Amino acid sequence: MTLRNIGIVYRKELVDSLRDRRTLISMIVVPLLLMPLLTIGLGGVSAILIGQAMEEVPKVMVLGGEDSPKVLAELEALPDVSIVPAKPDYAEEISSKQIRAAVEIPEGFDAKLASGEPMLLKIYMYEGDLKSGFGADRLQKFFRDVRDRAIRERLESRHLPDSLIRPFDIKQQNVAPAEKVGGAILGGLVPYFVILLCLTGAMYPAMDLTAGEKERGTMETLLCSPVSRTHLVLGKFLMVLTASIATAVLSISSMAFSFGVGKRMLLGMARGAADAALQISITAKSVFFVFVMVLPIAVLFSAALLAIALFAKSFKEAQSYISPLMIIVVLPAVAALLPGVELNAALALVPVLNTSLISKEIVAGTYHWKYVALIFASSCVYAAAALAIAVRLFQREDMLFRT
Amino acid sequence: MKHREAKGFSLPPASLPPLSFSPCYNLSAMANSPLISLRDLSKHFRTFRRREGIWGGVVNLFHREYQTLKAVDRITFDIEPGEMVGYIGPNGAGKSTTIKMLTGILVPSSGEIRSNGFVPWKQRTEYVRTIGVVFGQRTQLWWDIAVVESFKLLRRIYDVPPRDFAERMDTFNQILGIGDYLHTPVRKLSLGERMRCDLAAALLHNPPILFLDEPTIGLDVVAKDHIRQFLRAINEKYRTTVLLTTHDLDDIEELCRRIMIIDHGRLLYDGPLGLLKQKLLRIKQIKFVLRDKEQVAKLAALSRDGLEIEPVDEMTFRIRFDRSHIVTADLIRQILSSVEVRDLLIEDEPIEEIIKRIYAGLAFDQVTA
Repeated sequence: MTLRNIGIVYRKELVDSLRDRRTLISMIVVPLLLMPLLTIGLGGVSAILIGQAMEEVPKVMVLGGEDSPKVLAELEALPDVSIVPAKPDYAEEISSKQIRAAVEIPEGFDAKLASGEPMLLKIYMYEGDLKSGFGADRLQKFFRDVRDRAIRERLESRHLPDSLIRPFDIKQQNVAPAEKVGGAILGGLVPYFVILLCLTGAMYPAMDLTAGEKERGTMETLLCSPVSRTHLVLGKFLMVLTASIATAVLSISSMAFSFGVGKRMLLGMARGAADAALQISITAKSVFFVFVMVLPIAVLFSAALLAIALFAKSFKEAQSYISPLMIIVVLPAVAALLPGVELNAALALVPVLNTSLISKEIVAGTYHWKYVALIFASSCVYAAAALAIAVRLFQREDMLFRT
Repeated sequence: MKHREAKGFSLPPASLPPLSFSPCYNLSAMANSPLISLRDLSKHFRTFRRREGIWGGVVNLFHREYQTLKAVDRITFDIEPGEMVGYIGPNGAGKSTTIKMLTGILVPSSGEIRSNGFVPWKQRTEYVRTIGVVFGQRTQLWWDIAVVESFKLLRRIYDVPPRDFAERMDTFNQILGIGDYLHTPVRKLSLGERMRCDLAAALLHNPPILFLDEPTIGLDVVAKDHIRQFLRAINEKYRTTVLLTTHDLDDIEELCRRIMIIDHGRLLYDGPLGLLKQKLLRIKQIKFVLRDKEQVAKLAALSRDGLEIEPVDEMTFRIRFDRSHIVTADLIRQILSSVEVRDLLIEDEPIEEIIKRIYAGLAFDQVTA
């Protein structure tokens, strides 16, 4: 009987909500569009930008070197830079992006190179500017080659082996799993969006089912029906939770999909650039566990939104109560993105933040099982408390009939 | 939409089908006591006094002066099975609050209430299966969905067996004529059509008691008439007990033999309509607009004993008269023959005026409270 009544209310609210455009948009359209937009769109744009920067032939300025025709000629012959005439205000030209980089060739470069006298060669660039960086990189690579060549020639002329100046080689070897590499970059963002969408997905139905119902004047008649208030609020809650979880599921799957497809697309578009933009691969296991961890958060949000919206007399009033909640929820989710914020026992008890942090780890391929259990349990406690509050509020007539 | 409105009932009340509509009064629990009984029923709300202006608004945030509003103040009455009782009073008098307590959605602050053998707020879910409620300005129908879906939902909520459901839907279709728009979304219905659907929805589980809160509010004359006919029919045929609040005196006159007047939460009058009519509802008023200013001078011809003429504005005047002495039709004839009139309107005395006169002591032996 109990379940039946809750089921009836749930069905009613579900049918009702599926006819509400706002609910549909926030529940289905937003997560389906946002994730591909975020990954393919954002990733694509950055891949294109990086690709463009790499394809551009940077203008560089060569300062000095009039007494060293050999190196000048070699520079001129470089296919991937274009040399512009030297000017004294090179620094300004770099800043204003008229040229990308400049190189100052020391006096008597050719001669000193032959005689073996030490020199300092300066490359000017604008730190942080992608295209300036590429220009400087090419100059540096060129001069490094020149230097290596000189070294080899010197060693050869003295009949010495290469290993004299290179006793051993060093290589950094990555031991983290493939997803960990990308996890750090975009992994933080992913759970953040899932949590946020969980909230936005639940928002409209929560307001519609409480404040909206009051506004339409259907609350009284609903309360007159032989369904107890507890069943009513539970039916409504299940509907809000459905919306929230549907949003989460849709966003997680659309995210997994767009990472899969997006990466392949981008790889075709701009070779190595895609790797830099989208170094991530999400496994089915991590998708599953992110979902499990987000589940109690969805319950928490649904119950909290329902309780807050119930307090309001109208849809508009409900919106003004819920906007601050939005900020409260966004803050811990964002905090998890900050570098250096790492899981510990205390943070594992902070609602929302804990889920955000653990999801970040999960996406990155690390499973701290103790924390997973602790966070899941604590989220469940918060969710149960919020639900209990919502049920209690629904029994109070000063909440139901605020004037 | 209009043509449906005009269609009305296809069957006169006398030919209503004898159906599964037998009142299911909760007889065992009632044992000779009245069907509905209120004893010193009160409902107090705590409100806070709002200060005026911007500064007042700021102060409101920090310091609130609460005051107690006695929405319903020690009301006592009984209603017997099969009665149709009018519950009237001005806006904010406490009519709706009483109905909300009677339907179990508000808990009384003090006093006792028993209806059909139940204490409404304590045994709400069992109790509401034996009552039907219609709020005139509210609807229990889904706004965006075809009417029939709402009926199906109510069928499940009230556990109406499918056979009874089909039978009752058939009856409602016959006497309320709702079949035409069962598949129309509620928002596309006219107010009159919606009210019929709401009435059908309230009666779907065959309750012996029907509470109506302003059932004719906002309806046009024809739609009002249809609703009244229907209410009379179910009251006569099925002995459904009806308590209706209204501030339309015509509702009362056409439907109720008994009337209760409430003001500021207190019951001012509880007794037969006849007595009230004799003593208080005698005053009618005719408001008329003159064609031009020259007509004003001719008004003098109208004045005689028992006629009060008072100006509303330059061209509009109101005549109040006692209809136990003057026949309305005669007076209208007299007005039309004396002055040239552009427009004319017959009105009842507003309830507020009647209540004023009750307070002024122009009435009763029967004043309760």
